[in-house]
Amino acid sequence: MNNAIECNNLTHYYGSKRIVENLNFQVKEGTILGLLGKNGTGKTTVFNILNGFLRPTDGKCLIFGEDTQCLSPATKSRIGFLIEGHVQYSFMNVKQIEKFYSGFYPKWKPGSFWEIVKKLDVSKNQKISTMSWGQRSQVALGIILAQDPDLLILDDFSMGLDPGYRRLFVDHLREYAKSENKTIFTTSHIIQDMERLIDDVLIIDFNKVMVQSSVSDFLSNFKRFDFELENDDVELDNETLIVNIEKVRNKVELYTYSSERDIRNYLAERSVTPINFSQVTMNLEDAFIGLTRKY
Amino acid sequence: MLLSVFYKEWLKTRWFVILYTAMGIVAIGYIFMALKHSFNFSGTRSIWSTILFQGNQFYKIFKFIPLAGGIIVAIAQYLPEANDKRIKLTFHLPLGENKALMVMQAFGALSLLVAFFVFLGLIYFLGLIYFPVQMVWDIVLTVLPWSVSGLSAYSIVSFIILEPRWPFRFLYSIVGGLFLSFHFVHAGTACYGPALSGLFLMSLLLITAPLSSGYRFRKG
Repeated sequence: MNNAIECNNLTHYYGSKRIVENLNFQVKEGTILGLLGKNGTGKTTVFNILNGFLRPTDGKCLIFGEDTQCLSPATKSRIGFLIEGHVQYSFMNVKQIEKFYSGFYPKWKPGSFWEIVKKLDVSKNQKISTMSWGQRSQVALGIILAQDPDLLILDDFSMGLDPGYRRLFVDHLREYAKSENKTIFTTSHIIQDMERLIDDVLIIDFNKVMVQSSVSDFLSNFKRFDFELENDDVELDNETLIVNIEKVRNKVELYTYSSERDIRNYLAERSVTPINFSQVTMNLEDAFIGLTRKY
Repeated sequence: MLLSVFYKEWLKTRWFVILYTAMGIVAIGYIFMALKHSFNFSGTRSIWSTILFQGNQFYKIFKFIPLAGGIIVAIAQYLPEANDKRIKLTFHLPLGENKALMVMQAFGALSLLVAFFVFLGLIYFLGLIYFPVQMVWDIVLTVLPWSVSGLSAYSIVSFIILEPRWPFRFLYSIVGGLFLSFHFVHAGTACYGPALSGLFLMSLLLITAPLSSGYRFRKG
């Protein structure tokens, strides 16, 4: 399987502030990859570099083998791009925006656009600027799907949407991507939406890739054990075994890639007898917070 | 694709272009109505005398109309693109980024040129009702630099709006303001004649200035 996106040794500084350093990742064609990271970890920087709106200090990203700093019009026509906040040409109405974009994309599918728009309570002559966030998101989605792109780059698609529109957006997108074998690279602050949409996850934290794998592999390998301590003065800090520990008084949440037996052995070595020791099933949001810490 | 870009620009600017053109036509109409009134009340000899020997530019109210037009069209065209960084959508179209910007600039310049020829045509033909050809040409030569200022102002304002950083916008405003002042140096009728081609050439070259702002925007 070829890479739709490939970033090699991506490094970027704003002045002397390091944002990303030696970031390497790939997005295989036909997969849906979600980029997760806390605020300020470089997600927007990566998106801007991918879209050619920022020149990296070092390294480069390729889309369909072309440097993102100088994508050819032919390659651009294969990419559907959603700007954070579902920004579109708000001075146009629905009919005008369809007419405008149809002139650029040889594979333009008006049916895909109108199918989404007809679900909205809007007339063809309604201006985008008078629509709600949710309606605008659907118009933006309709434009992207009608382009019939091979790769969709979606920057924070959940922003400003109520739960109903988020669900509509995610379900429509996943169905489309899977039935048409499209590639999606996306980010969102609402991780429940991401979990419903993506196949693979890329988690970055300040200057490093923490995880790149399928969501199912990540959730089966990364574990959380909860227990209580008899003595809450005990310090648990084995970096090879423990990824993160969240401790409030004597209650402990321990995050690890190790097995239950390894953790129990480690606690026994430290003469710690855990009370109510149990493995807790995590969703993607729990795992993300467990991996990157709450604060 | 080019027609689609023109369509987008037309949707943004149509009312402003129409308003500007109407404003110019009304101003020219007013100038010639006032002239007719002066001829009727002050007599032909007196008016001719003030025009020929005292440098009376009876069409002076037209002076800043093209400048206002250039500014209005640039704002109407580029402010929606700068808001929410909407220009990213244009740069992402399957068209070279520079080509997209140049097509946008061509649209703005063409709409100003259409208004420019309408105004000059009106001034020329209405002028012929009252004056001989040589005098009308002098009037046209006098209003030409003012008309060219519209094109220059359009490019300068576009350049400033697209620029991503405020200190550069400030700098461009100062330099642009100085350049625009060249179009309005106090001079007698038709005195700009020898400088007109240079001024027009510089205005045409300025049309490419927003390419620099666009590049700076794209490279962060």
